Amino acid sequence: MLIALVNAGASRRQRSGVTRRGFLKWLIAGFGAVSLAGVLYPVLRFLKPPAAVSGAIGQVVDIGALSAFPAGRLTAVAVNDQPAVVANVNGAYTVYSLICTHLGCVLAVQDDGLHCPCHGSDFSASGAVLKGPAKLPLPPYHSRVQSGSLLVGPIDLSKASYPGWYKGEFQ
Amino acid sequence: MSAVPEGQQPQAVEPGKRGFVPWLLRRLGLVDTMEDQYNRIVPRHASNYIYCFGGIALVLFIILAFTGIMLAVYYQPTPATAYQSVLDISTKVQFGWWIRSIHRWAAGGMVLLVFVHMLRVFFTGAYKAPRELNWVTGVVLFVVTLSFGFTGYLLPWDQKAYWATKVGTDIAGSVPVIGHFLLVSLRGGEQISAATLGRFYDLHVLVLPAIIILLLFGHFWMIRRQGISGRL
Repeated sequence: MLIALVNAGASRRQRSGVTRRGFLKWLIAGFGAVSLAGVLYPVLRFLKPPAAVSGAIGQVVDIGALSAFPAGRLTAVAVNDQPAVVANVNGAYTVYSLICTHLGCVLAVQDDGLHCPCHGSDFSASGAVLKGPAKLPLPPYHSRVQSGSLLVGPIDLSKASYPGWYKGEFQ
Repeated sequence: MSAVPEGQQPQAVEPGKRGFVPWLLRRLGLVDTMEDQYNRIVPRHASNYIYCFGGIALVLFIILAFTGIMLAVYYQPTPATAYQSVLDISTKVQFGWWIRSIHRWAAGGMVLLVFVHMLRVFFTGAYKAPRELNWVTGVVLFVVTLSFGFTGYLLPWDQKAYWATKVGTDIAGSVPVIGHFLLVSLRGGEQISAATLGRFYDLHVLVLPAIIILLLFGHFWMIRRQGISGRL
């Protein structure tokens, strides 16, 4: 098809003003530009600092108005790019990590609790283990209500002895 | 039409010598030099894949320099943060796993290709007069390449890195007379510590790159002056 295109171009050179040499030059330049973009794109993305590396973890962030977290419900949120869940038990707000304490999968939020899609662990709405293989409860975040918004600070890993790789998710 | 002063008539530019690069070469006085370089003919016996190993090693070095500069953006050479920063590069930085994997595989590949290039030079007798000095710089380049590997191995600061460095510096310590001096100089003390990590990082990103670039320049300058060796 390419050859047909080039031949057609040659026979119509006078009209179109496109020479075979010019066409091939543009073709090579085009392939070069695409290849260069293929290298530059990952490089530029690499240089953009992720929240977790730039030290944003542990800073207090506003995750939204209280009305976004209805009573008796579990609401998935992102805290500094980390998955978390807000539990509203009759106006008492608690924020838990959504990272399974077994092997680090992100838990699925269900009506009455949290379920791990990888190995089947179940957690209650308060973060306690209902069913293994996970052994450790989900750690809560420090949080407080201020002027109608829920503010979330660093994670509280003091409630149980968490393994190093799990702590690493939050450092 | 502006008048051109006497004696400064613009020289007619030959057809085919237009464009930015020829313009630049004329200004730098490199027209003849580059023409000479472009017009080198690769001998028929050297138009063979076994003559490509040195060139591939150079390409790998360029890839390593580029990806290494990128990794240094996030890597932190302190005992408390080194391991975590490497983990962050692999799991949190976008395309970090990709850049780090390329660096790691190119490093292994460069050691392999430098060695295979050395075998090619040896078995084709390319080290013989007048190319002895190029063989000597080549051997030093091989040692520098291995040193890159050895110093880079410590940087992730995991168990494998720690014990490999322990064993490697112990071997340096077994050298007669100057052994202890070598060991303490490499480790920055009797034991492997934060000082060791700092020294290895310094060697890996500052000292060895400077040495290898100087040696590569000499290596390529000599091959251009002496030409490719004759057939077997």
